[in-house]
Amino acid sequence: MNHPSPEVVLNDDRHLGPLGPKILRIAGGLGIVLLILGLVLGITGSGGGMSRFLFAYTAGFAFILSIALGAMFFVLVNHLTRAGWCATTRRIAEITMGTMPFLAILFLPILISVLMGYGGLFSWADHEIASKDHLIHLKAGYLNPVFFTIRWVIYFAVWMQISRYYLGGSVRQDDSGDPEITSRMQKWSAASILLFALTLTFASFDLLMSLAPHWFSSIFGVYFFAGSVIAFQAFGILVLVLLQRKGKLKKSVSIEHFHDWGKLLFAFVFFWAYIAYSQFMLIWYGNIPEETGWFHTRITGSWGGVALILVFAHFVIPFAGLMSRHAKRNLASLSFWAMWMLIMHCIDIYWIVMPNQGGHGHGEAPGVHFQALDILAIVGLFSLFVAGAAYIGRHCSLVAVKEPRLAESLAFENA
Amino acid sequence: MSNELSSVDFLADDPTQRAPLVSPDLEFKDVTETVCGVAEKPRPPKAWYVAFGISLALTGMLFSMIAYLVITGVGVWGNNSPAFWGFPIVNFVFWVGIGHAGTLISAILFLFRQKWRTSINRFAEAMTIFAVVCAGLFPGIHVGRIWFAYWLFPIPNQMEMWPNFRSPLLWDVFAVGTYATVSLLFWYFGMIPDLASLRDRAKGKIAKLLYGIFSLGWSGSARHWHRYERAYLILAALATPLVLSVHSVVSFDFAVAQLPGWHSTILPPYFVAGAIFSGFAMVVTLMLPARLLFGLEKIVTMRHIENMNKVILATGMMVGYAYAMEFFIAWYSGSPSERFVFINRAFGNYAWAYWIMVSCNVFIPQLFWFKKLRRNPWVIMFVVLFVNVGMWFERFVIAVTSLTRDFTPASWGYFSPTWIDIGMLVGSFGLFFTLFLLFLRFLPIVAISEVKGVMPQAHGHQDGGHGEVKEAAEAGASTNS
Amino acid sequence: MQASANADPKGESAPVAGILAEFDGPGALKKAAVQIRDAGFTRWDCYSPFPVHGIDPAMGVRPTILPWIILGMGLTGLTIATALQWWTNGVDYPFLISGKPLFGLPANIPIMFELTILLSAFGAFFGALILNDLPKFYRPIFSSKRFKKVTDNGFFIGIEASDPHYDSKKIQSLFRQMGPLSVEEFHDTDPQGALPKAFFRVGIILFLLGLIPLALALKSRHSTSSSPRWHFWRDMDFQPVAKAQRASAFFPDGRVIRPQVEGTFAREQADDNPHLNQGRVNGKFATTFPMKLSMEMLERGKDRFDTYCAPCHGKDGRGQGLVAKRASTLGEGTWVPPSNLVDPRIEKMPVGEIYQAIRYGVRNMPKYGPQIKVEDRWAIVAYIRALQRSQNGTIKDVPEADRGKLK
Repeated sequence: MNHPSPEVVLNDDRHLGPLGPKILRIAGGLGIVLLILGLVLGITGSGGGMSRFLFAYTAGFAFILSIALGAMFFVLVNHLTRAGWCATTRRIAEITMGTMPFLAILFLPILISVLMGYGGLFSWADHEIASKDHLIHLKAGYLNPVFFTIRWVIYFAVWMQISRYYLGGSVRQDDSGDPEITSRMQKWSAASILLFALTLTFASFDLLMSLAPHWFSSIFGVYFFAGSVIAFQAFGILVLVLLQRKGKLKKSVSIEHFHDWGKLLFAFVFFWAYIAYSQFMLIWYGNIPEETGWFHTRITGSWGGVALILVFAHFVIPFAGLMSRHAKRNLASLSFWAMWMLIMHCIDIYWIVMPNQGGHGHGEAPGVHFQALDILAIVGLFSLFVAGAAYIGRHCSLVAVKEPRLAESLAFENA
Repeated sequence: MSNELSSVDFLADDPTQRAPLVSPDLEFKDVTETVCGVAEKPRPPKAWYVAFGISLALTGMLFSMIAYLVITGVGVWGNNSPAFWGFPIVNFVFWVGIGHAGTLISAILFLFRQKWRTSINRFAEAMTIFAVVCAGLFPGIHVGRIWFAYWLFPIPNQMEMWPNFRSPLLWDVFAVGTYATVSLLFWYFGMIPDLASLRDRAKGKIAKLLYGIFSLGWSGSARHWHRYERAYLILAALATPLVLSVHSVVSFDFAVAQLPGWHSTILPPYFVAGAIFSGFAMVVTLMLPARLLFGLEKIVTMRHIENMNKVILATGMMVGYAYAMEFFIAWYSGSPSERFVFINRAFGNYAWAYWIMVSCNVFIPQLFWFKKLRRNPWVIMFVVLFVNVGMWFERFVIAVTSLTRDFTPASWGYFSPTWIDIGMLVGSFGLFFTLFLLFLRFLPIVAISEVKGVMPQAHGHQDGGHGEVKEAAEAGASTNS
Repeated sequence: MQASANADPKGESAPVAGILAEFDGPGALKKAAVQIRDAGFTRWDCYSPFPVHGIDPAMGVRPTILPWIILGMGLTGLTIATALQWWTNGVDYPFLISGKPLFGLPANIPIMFELTILLSAFGAFFGALILNDLPKFYRPIFSSKRFKKVTDNGFFIGIEASDPHYDSKKIQSLFRQMGPLSVEEFHDTDPQGALPKAFFRVGIILFLLGLIPLALALKSRHSTSSSPRWHFWRDMDFQPVAKAQRASAFFPDGRVIRPQVEGTFAREQADDNPHLNQGRVNGKFATTFPMKLSMEMLERGKDRFDTYCAPCHGKDGRGQGLVAKRASTLGEGTWVPPSNLVDPRIEKMPVGEIYQAIRYGVRNMPKYGPQIKVEDRWAIVAYIRALQRSQNGTIKDVPEADRGKLK
């Protein structure tokens, strides 16, 4: 047999080393500066006011949360299916979802706005608005600040527990090499993925769907899930490419792994389109006022332009671009499409969140008014997220060195 | 070939080492022998005759009932205002759903490099074709005047009219038609090399001629294999979104309407998950006895069955998720009619059907969480039979509860099937099993060449020199291309 | 299986078509393939019971063009579906259904998708068969008995005699160096034996027979016939419906028209205001309106008149509506032209009589009572009066101040 043995992984450059503190400093510093700048613009009102800042913050938060949740799915589903191919790359996902405690802290501004009864973000949180609006009144059993807080505590508890268990177990295996750890993680993956599905769904309802409290769509959780997987696949590809450019993981991660990551990205580009089409077409076809309002603001006027961008740039163009085997096996083109999809996913979130601002989710929402504040909040949060990941990964190996299926992962080839 | 299976642990779940997919004592020759042997035996087992006789009788009953229906009119069914969609649509969706497992096993698992699929894919694909035949029957006869069924197709007719392409019912025609065609091509395409095996072993003149014709003169040439594999991969890649689309389109039949309980955006993925769920249950239902009856235990191991059970559990949970989402969003929508319909489903006239559905589809499959239970043939049979029942009831609940409780209380009603309705449902099983038993008797029921391809010998481990060849091969490839 | 290669005496006499060597497993096959490739042969092939991983580079097989064929077919399917839906529903036979656009992407995507897949699958299936030159029931290599193992557990390399480098002895010794299981020549036996001739004959006859119904359908589509359409079930011709004034075998009194059920009354009988409902006062036609006239009532009357009356009577009431014009063009003998409503005869008619004509119909005009509400009927009567005034008006009817504007 001519395949590399797991030894090569041990000898690989597989630690962040000095890169870790460097990323932590730059990304962390940048994130804090940008967020403070955004907050100042919000408070002074020159960027659209506090409500605008909170909306942009929510969009940014949904964006980074989706990356972390996508990573969690990657870890869980690969354990669930006893996958071997991804063994050398799974640590990247484990580190990415390890950022959950940071995300919990970053969620506080949103939670505080709800607890303060501030209606500029979630209109249902404002008692004044909620008491006058019949529909919100009907949903008050679910959409109220106390239950909202309880739910988010549960979500983060579940996510932090899952990420701690899987990252921790995997890191412990780096030392002990105990295959029993893998067996245990596999065993728990089914229950974890069940909890993951429920928490992700309700989190997406709470964070994004309830921004427009009149609107409802039972597929929305799946839609957010599809976007999350795209976001993480794209993020992970970029991280792996950048690490390899810095000389890391050169021997552990081969073009075959990138090819498979690309395939998953491609598959979920299609899956996202399928879910997005199902949601849109059914509401468009049914054409009942309870549902169409949400889409009406988003497909007419300047938001309609963004919707068209999503149709073409979130689906048609990358679908054609990623279809060929060569596009997925060429790192330049693969990382281009990963970058592209990450930006598109961000636009998708922006398109979901921002039209609610000013219109309380119903009535005439203003068109696209892109502001410096939006970029500051989104990029700021993303930087903090990267810094968080660097913090989690600063000491541990970037590849699970004693993973029992390492040999299989190193040996596999795409037919 | 003796039965010393106990020495091999197919079910080992050891992360350091993959358990064997098929019995390690098998040679290529044994695989050919085992599978072709089924079709070559002069006489099938007695159980086959019994099953075939019953199925044929039921098929006869089905077609007599269809004749009666055509002569008399669709009034022989229980369909009446307000439930104009009764058993025919329920049976249609049920059978189409069953048909999804074949393509899933063939295509999606193929793309996911799930090599265990090779032992069961032929079986599941055949089941797909026959299930789609049963499914296609019902909309065909539901039009009443079946000699006008060609109006479904965009053929310029004597009225110079075109069908309405914006209607989900026409999407169905295209989706199910495409699905039936592509499944058939996929099934047959995969079978060509195995038919050639039967051809080369055939003794009788007729067998030689027929297997010869259908194997198209396959010679096993490497250049042919090259294009064959490419085509197979692409067919799999095409069939994967197709399988998603077909049941999504079926769900559109309901979901584009404004009727509460039908108009829900989760319906497309929910229907797809349900279809896979029911299809796998049916594969297991058929595979469990077939592997014993035809001595396939070394090729279709308990591992295969367990994997399918896991898929059943997973898709069952997805279906449960969809039930929960529908319920939650109905409440969350704040719309009184939405809220009413779901309360009515659970506690109204059809509560019995609803709870049959939930018990069979969500509660009973929970048994598969336990390793012991999902490896016990009796428990497996118990669960999958209930899943089959539950999935039929799911479609019944969706179609009937919403239709009989629409927006106008004045038009509410209660649907009761006639004996023709029930007879046709039973008869469709007869048709399905008749076709399936014929397949078991005359065609290669396991993908012989694919199973050989995943055996350890296929990678040339035993005769050594792999690395050497590979290097030489790569050198050659660079000079030749 | 017997390994006797020369069992077929007839095969011996046939011309040699090439050399066949059997190898022990996929690894040996690959090793041998590399050597044959490097020796520069072109008309040769490996044969195996399953696709051997890595055989393509070992043989130097180039990637197939099949994906491009499939892509082309897929795009063709997409184009056909788009054009078909746009042409049929958008152009050739446009009709509105539930307010959906004639051609709007959301509702047309499913069929576009399905046809793309369908044609791509055809491309994959038929493309692979055609590129592989299948079906081809006879190949010289099939004449080797040993070769039957290829679909079981045999791994072969065959070099055809037509290869430019073909030299039987050299090849045989080359093969023998590789440690094969066997080496033998194979012969081009009678290719006729592959399929019986009768098979083709039956096929052609069946095909031609199959054309007959198509031809008949085509003929009847493009010719006329005086005999009525042929249909399967005649139950619609003999419906068990009761026709007016006929005897009934069902009811004991033999009458089809049922007498009034005791204790009930018809709608007209519940008439407490004959002026309003019947247009009659003391049994005579009313000459006055049962309600106060108003501008709104006239507006309403115009609206109803244009909907229900104008198609025959014309918008100006002169009896020249679209239906009347069309009927007179066709020259239908039975056609009774609609009345000119602004004719002096009708001008003199009491309003009650006009009302009654609307309600119960007159001569060929059907009754509009079931379609038009009582108040609307009176509104129409009022509007007819207004039409009469306007159509028969003179300059004197115009106020003095406005007369100048007319000129």
